[in-house]
Order: sequence, then C-alpha cells, then structure tokens
Amino acid sequence: MLKNYFKIGLRNLLKDKLFTLLNIIGLSVAFAVAILLSMAAFFDLSFDRFHEHADTIYEVYRQEQSPKGPEASTSQPAPLAGVLKSEVPSIKKVSRHLQQQAVFSFKEKQLSLDVVWVDEDFFNIFTFPVSSKRTNQILADQSSIAITEATAQKLFGESNPLGKTVHVLIEGSEEPFTVGTVISNIPEHSSLKFEAALRFEKHPNYQENKESWDTNYHSIFVQMDDKSLPDQFEKSTRSLVDLNYVEDIANMKRDGVVANSDGRFIQFKLLALEDIHFVNFRKGYAEVSRNTVFLILAIAFLIIGIACVNFINMSVAKSSQRMREIGMRKTLGAQKRHLFFQFWSESLVVFIIAVGIGAFLSALLLDDFKTLFKTAVSFDIIRSPKVILSFIGFILFITLLVGGYPALLLSKLNVIQSLKGKLEKSGKNRVRNALMIIQFAIAIILISSTIVLREQLYFMRNKDLGFNKEQVISFPLDGKKDGYQVLDLLRNELKGNPDILSVSGADNNLGIGRDGSRFRSIFGFEYKNRIVKTNFLAVDYDYLETLDVKLVEGRGFKRGFASDSLSVVINEAMARELGEKDPLTAYVQVNDSTNYPVIGVIKDYNFDSLDNAIAPLTLFLNKDYKLYYGYVKVAPKNLVKSLDAIKSAWASIEPNSIFLGSFLDENINRTLKKEEKMTTIISAGSLIAIALSCIGLFAISLLMVAQRTKEIGVRKVIGASVSSITYLLTKDFLKLVTISFLIAAPVAWWLMSSWLKEYPFKIELKAWFFIIAGLVAFGIAILTVGSRTIKAAMQNPVDSLRAE
Amino acid sequence: MLLELKNIFKWVNSGGQRVFLLKDINLKVDEGDFISIMGPSGSGKSTLLNVMGMLDGFNEGEYNFLEQSVHTLKEKKRATLYKEYIGFVFQSYHLLDELTVQENLEMPLLYKKFKGSERKAMVADMLDRFNIVGKKDLFPAQLSGGQQQLVGVARALIANPKLILADEPTGNLNSNQSEEIMQLFQQLNKEGVTIIQVTHSEKNAQYGKRIIQLLDGRMV
Repeated sequence: MLKNYFKIGLRNLLKDKLFTLLNIIGLSVAFAVAILLSMAAFFDLSFDRFHEHADTIYEVYRQEQSPKGPEASTSQPAPLAGVLKSEVPSIKKVSRHLQQQAVFSFKEKQLSLDVVWVDEDFFNIFTFPVSSKRTNQILADQSSIAITEATAQKLFGESNPLGKTVHVLIEGSEEPFTVGTVISNIPEHSSLKFEAALRFEKHPNYQENKESWDTNYHSIFVQMDDKSLPDQFEKSTRSLVDLNYVEDIANMKRDGVVANSDGRFIQFKLLALEDIHFVNFRKGYAEVSRNTVFLILAIAFLIIGIACVNFINMSVAKSSQRMREIGMRKTLGAQKRHLFFQFWSESLVVFIIAVGIGAFLSALLLDDFKTLFKTAVSFDIIRSPKVILSFIGFILFITLLVGGYPALLLSKLNVIQSLKGKLEKSGKNRVRNALMIIQFAIAIILISSTIVLREQLYFMRNKDLGFNKEQVISFPLDGKKDGYQVLDLLRNELKGNPDILSVSGADNNLGIGRDGSRFRSIFGFEYKNRIVKTNFLAVDYDYLETLDVKLVEGRGFKRGFASDSLSVVINEAMARELGEKDPLTAYVQVNDSTNYPVIGVIKDYNFDSLDNAIAPLTLFLNKDYKLYYGYVKVAPKNLVKSLDAIKSAWASIEPNSIFLGSFLDENINRTLKKEEKMTTIISAGSLIAIALSCIGLFAISLLMVAQRTKEIGVRKVIGASVSSITYLLTKDFLKLVTISFLIAAPVAWWLMSSWLKEYPFKIELKAWFFIIAGLVAFGIAILTVGSRTIKAAMQNPVDSLRAE
Repeated sequence: MLLELKNIFKWVNSGGQRVFLLKDINLKVDEGDFISIMGPSGSGKSTLLNVMGMLDGFNEGEYNFLEQSVHTLKEKKRATLYKEYIGFVFQSYHLLDELTVQENLEMPLLYKKFKGSERKAMVADMLDRFNIVGKKDLFPAQLSGGQQQLVGVARALIANPKLILADEPTGNLNSNQSEEIMQLFQQLNKEGVTIIQVTHSEKNAQYGKRIIQLLDGRMV
C-alpha cells in the first residue's frame, strides 16, 4: 500500500516537472535559510551553557540610585568579593574577574595578550575544558598562570608549555610566572574569552585598591547553592551594604536622591550566567533582551511560512487535476483516511526531498553564512540528540499541517462530483486569498524594514560625530615603553613626513579598534554639595587638533603651560552638568584635596557608542595617567602610504609589538556590527521572501490561467481585447497585494518605530519607506502574473475552446 | 435476491422547485440477472445506477442489498458493502493515468487488505483471463480505447464482485470494440456475475435478459 502511494506520488511529481521543481526549489531554499538562521539563533541561545554549574553561576551587579534615576554597573570594589563570601551563606564560590591586556615575553618573543585576572575559584566556578595540567587546582599559587592552547602555540611553538617560565610586564617590571595549566581553546559561544589567566592579586592596581570601597574596577562571579533563590540575594546583602557604604548613602540623601521602591539606595543583585550575553545596563537596571535572537528565529519561521503557503496553494490548486483519481479511488473502496494518508504521504515525499536538499545547501553555504553574518556558528552546537529530535519533530509537524490541509480537502470530496471533475469553488479560494495576503504582507514588512534599517545604518555611518574620522588613525600603545615616550618618539620619527599632520594619544580608543577592546571609565566627585559624575579621558598634547574636536570656550592643553597637568578640559555636556554660567570658573575635584580648574570647553563629540547619548566628559593631561592609544592625523591624500609610514615608525620604536592601527571610520563601523548584522539578515530575509513569493505567485497564475482557459476563449470570441483580459486576470492578484499593503504598512511602521526608539541618534520614519515597499510588491505581482496572463490572453480562442 | 428498490424517490431543489431525478422506482434484481437500462439523455439512467452502486443517496424509499437495508446504513458500512460486492465500469474508463495496467488492476485489492502474494496471483490471473499479459507494464495512454475498457472491466472484476454496474461501457468505443466488450459481459454473466448496464444502443441492450426503460425518472 505504502509502496503504491509513493509510486503514484512520485509519478505525479514527475508528470508535472515545472511544478515539482518550483515546489521543491521554494521549499529547499526556505529550509536551507531557516536551518542556517535557526542555527545562528540557537548558537546565540547556547552562550555560556557549556559550564557544568551554568545554572547556579551569576554575575553580581550593583544598582545605585542617582538624581537622574537608577544606575546599574557590574564594576565592583576589590574588598567586596571577600565580604560577600563571608556574609552571604548561600554563596558557594566567588571570584573576581578583570580583563586587561598585558605584555608577555618568552625569550625574544614579546606578545600583548588578552588576560583575565581572577581568583583561585574562577576555574572551579567556570569549567573550561582543560587540555593538560600539572596540578589539579588551576592558579593554585600566585606565580602560576593558565594559558589557552592557541596562546601556548604562539608563545612556545610545538614544545611542551607546562612548567615553562614566562615574564609578564606588571607596573613596568617583568615578573616571572610558571605555566601550570593549558586550557583547550575557549568555545566560540563563551562570553568570557581570554588568552591567559593570572591571579587577581597580581594585577597592578590591586595593592592600592585592595581595601578601597571607592574604586570599582572589576566584576564578580558567584556560584550559589543549588537551592538558593537569586531574589533573596539582595536581602542577604543589605547589612553589608549598610556597613560599607555609609558615606555614599549619606551623600545620596544629602543630594536629595530618592530611595527605590524597596527603600534602598544601593542594592546588589544577581544576573544569571545565561543572561550575560543578552544584558544591557543602559536604563539603570539589568535589561535582558533576546529580541535579536527571536527576530532571527521569527524570520526563519516567516520564510518557512511563505514556502508552506506556496505549497498549500499549489497543491490545492493542482488538486483539480486529480479529482477523477479521487473519485475513482473512492468507488474502488478507498476511505477518507486512505486518501488523506495518500496525499499526505505525497507531501511527505516532497518535504523529505526538500529538507534533504535544504540541509545539503545549508552545509554548503555555512562558510559564506558565517562571514556574511559574522557568526561563529557550527554544526557541532546543534549536534545534540535533543536538537536533532526537535528538528525532526518540527519538520513532521509542518508536513502534517501543510500537507494535511490539502489532503483533508481532497479526501472530503464527494464521489460523483469528483468523478465528473467538478470542484466546489466556494471556500477554497478564500483560504488561498487569505494565505496570499499573509504572504505579501510578510514580504512588504520585510522590504520596508530593510529600507528603514539601511537608512538608519547609513545615517549612523555618516553622522557627523564631532571629530575627524576619515583622516585619523588610532592604534593601541601596547609595547613595553611608556605611552608618552612612545608618542614623542613617533613625533620625531614622523616629523619630516608631509603627510603626517599631527600625533597625539589618549587612554581610550574611539570606536572599536583592531584589538577589539572597549571600555569606559567614570568617576564621581562632590561639586558644590552634590555628586557629579563624568567620563574620564587622559590625553596627550594636540588631542583636540589631531581629532578636529572644536573648542567652544577657553583653550586646550598647550605645551609651556606647566599648570596644565593640574587643569581639565570638559565637554558641553559636562559644562551643563556643572551648571555654571561661565564654565571656565568651574573646577573638577580629583582627590579630596585638589581642585582642577576648567580651562576649556569643547563641543560634544561621540566618544562613546552611538547607542548612548553624549555623556559628560573630562579630559586630563597628566603623566600619572597612562596612555593606551595613539592617534595620528594624516593628510587626505596618500592614506595607505601614511599608514605604512606610521607602521614602520612603530616597528622601529616597539620592534616586538605588532602594529594594530586602523582608521577611525573603520573603528566606528566595528561598533555598528549589531546593526550591520541585523540589516544583512533582514535584507537577505526579504530577498528570499520576495523570491519565494514570486515562485508561489507564478505557480498560482499558471494554474489559474489553465483553469480559466475556457472563459478566456469565450470572452475572446465575444470580442474582448487582449488588454482587457490581461487586466481581468491580473486584477484579482493586485487586489490581494493592496489588501496586504494596508495590513502590513502599519505593522511595519510600529515595528520600526519601536526598534528606532532604542537609538538616541535616529532617522525619522517617512511614509515613502513603506510606499516603496508596497510598490515593489505591486511591481513583482504585475511582472509575475502579467507575463503568464498576457500569453494566455493572446492565445487563439479556437485552441482554448477545443481543449474543453 | 440480490437487491431490491422500493418506491425510490430522488430530487434536487432548483430555484425553489423540486426537480425529480427518480420517481417511484421499484426494481428487483436476482443473482445472475443481466439488465439493460435505456432511456433518453437526462432520464435518470446514471442516477439510478449510482444509487444502486451506493455512490449516491436518495431522498425517499427503501433499498435492500443482500438482505441489508442500505438506507439505514452509515456511510462507512455502506462503503464496505459496495467495496465487497460491486464492481464499476465507466464510459470514460477512469483508469488512473499514473499507474500501469498491472498497477491499475492491483489498486482495488490494496483497499481490501489482500496480502502481497495474493494480490500478485489475482492480478496475474486477471491479466491472463483477459489476454493482456503483454500490456501489463503499459500506461493507459498507451492503449486503445477498447483495450482501456478491457482493463476497466478487468479491474471491476478483480475482487470477485457479485454485481457489475456499467455506465455506458461502450459509449466511447467503435462498433468492433463494443461488440467485444458486450460479448465479454455475456460471457461473465454466464459465469454467474450479475450485470446492470446503462446504454443508448438498442443492439447492446439486447445482450441483457431484461430491459428497463426510463423516462423523466420514471420506469415505463
């Protein structure tokens, strides 16, 4: 029986090759895209779950009330970890965690590595796979380090890394460390990525800060009891907050800060490990949002949805050709369930073929997909039986639904009517029309989203950020020499070069450089009886000139003014924050004793990512603060030559360190990775949606024309013109597109405006975005349907009438 | 007695009026009968055949088939009944285009849960009996009309029905082919199969033992 079904199913498929091809192409493309997209989504969702204790690991974050509302941060003071461990009984293990570059040297080799400075329990909390070790406890003593396999390869080549001694540059002196553990390379789906791990106590800032509750500079991870509830953590930390933050709380009360709904000013809370990849503290609380992932999944579903709509419409439309068979089978004794099963199994054949081709395509396209969408996804992650089983279950479910509907329709037909080949027209077209409206609505939503996203991305890329991003190169100062010294050497080295306009430095980069690091440092002080917070930036001379940042009032730092190292330059946002009529009379307090007068005010520029509005910023020029990044402004001509000149100058000054310079506009583009990824996904999604809708529309118009051959013939005999017949046949489809536009446009508008809400710098939504999307859908419908209908309308009526 | 129709009425409502398709049909068919139903177009011949074949229902009256009252049976029971005892032959053959001759013959057996080996034997038997062994792997489109109808009859017969209902079996055939099919029917009738055929042709009607004339849904 089954064999018979498959046989007749296969022969039916082969009989109408164009149809089968359209169906299978549509479905397999949809499956391939859906597999890739959902893999990317599941990859994101699987972040950090590979640790053995993943569900009991949390990051500690602090929520503080401020005059502007709550603020949240994961940055903590050094003594907190120890106090937490002793005061909160439900904490099993705790570790501090600080990520910073450090210079490693082994024999002549010198490397700047991405280091985590952590406590002993770090590797008991996080179970990174270990590839070889000397002792069971990783980082058991302060002079041992753990490195990854890739680092071992870089430092020692093929020789056994265990027990080797490397030197790490700490506070200007080289300290020896012994390699105790080699960790397998860190999985791609880990939020914590590093090249080497050192004990926290070895961090250069540890000694001065180990008792200080004012300096927040590292994060804390805890592993809790299996039974403890994360909500109760806050309550159990109240007493330690009251004990250790007396002064801060008193200041807040004085500044008129309002306590939160719990009546607290400072609260410690827990953020689950699995949420870390998705968290955002911008609004003053831990906002966990997996929206991007769900968006990707939604697009995958939409694409499958479109393909399924095609399939349903095509099978229902085609079924008219199989009426006779259905009737005959019924007279020969087939029951409803026989017929249902038969037609369903035919759909199953198509689906199995399509899924097979789709899976093959997705494997083929995986590499391109990874580069296009900048994801590190691989088949390994989804190779677990659970995922595969749910995938198979999902496919079966879809097949049942999509193949089942036409099968049900067909199996219910009346015997005599179907023998005569008559199909009741009533409900069927309504379902088809509804499905096509949905299909077009999806396409219109995706097209208009593409337009909006592209506009926003273009806007952000080309926005005037308040500094010169085309002509400035930035690079990390990660060699052994002091930053100020390196910059002076560079100035000397590049002096004669007419293309080099100016050289400066700062302790932070603009955008994201090739070293991939990004941070923010904020400090607060008491100004006229209230707390003022500002971003901190240490700069070298010529910073404003190099970056073309405009001065509004006063002056910038100049050589020859000895007092400049005790003065500050602030931005307009900071001037507003200080609230002085003449900002040049204001000052910034650094220690409890010294006030630094403001000597200049600069125009606001986007020193932080475009997700944030421009915050207060204070610039310092003081050799006590280290510089981490150099900036060179070059002439607009010969950009590549200038970059090479800087590179070779760097090589002569820091021969052991690799030059990682890049233009600032590249750095800015790197910060827009999320938007870029989303734009690519949506654009690709809409392209595929359009293509699939075209296939479906084409097939439907093919069948519709075939069904109305007689009508066309009769109309022509009576005297209808080609154009009136084309219009007659196309009009129905255009009506559907119009309805879908009316449905889709407001939905797209709402979606896009809620997406744009997240951005302080954004484009205005304009009606033409949506109108264009509608016109595209309209044009596609006319092209696809029109070509078929014109052909049908031009046919000789004698032929079409004879066919009846 | 094989079947009995008592006061069968069938009508449709068209434009507020009741249009009768069958009016007060009374008919007894014994096993071994060969009945020809004749009448002009629209006189209800096919409808009557469909009612007897249980493919179509009726509005009034009683229908007993092998001592079972069909009008009281549920759809599913009725299906098993006609599946078991009735074979159909159609004017336009209604062979399945996608299946070969052999597979077309096998199909009714598939719905009756015969084993694979049994099915094969029955199909081979039938091919043999109708002398179409050489054509078993051809598709219907590759056969002449007469050959297609031969397959149609073979298919109707394969499950050993007690009754064959034929709706203008020779309507699409030329006179030679018609002759062959009618002789085949006669032969089958001699072997004990009950046959009811609808026909337009006086000549073919003569093959029947009994002729029923219909006019406007009434037996004349």
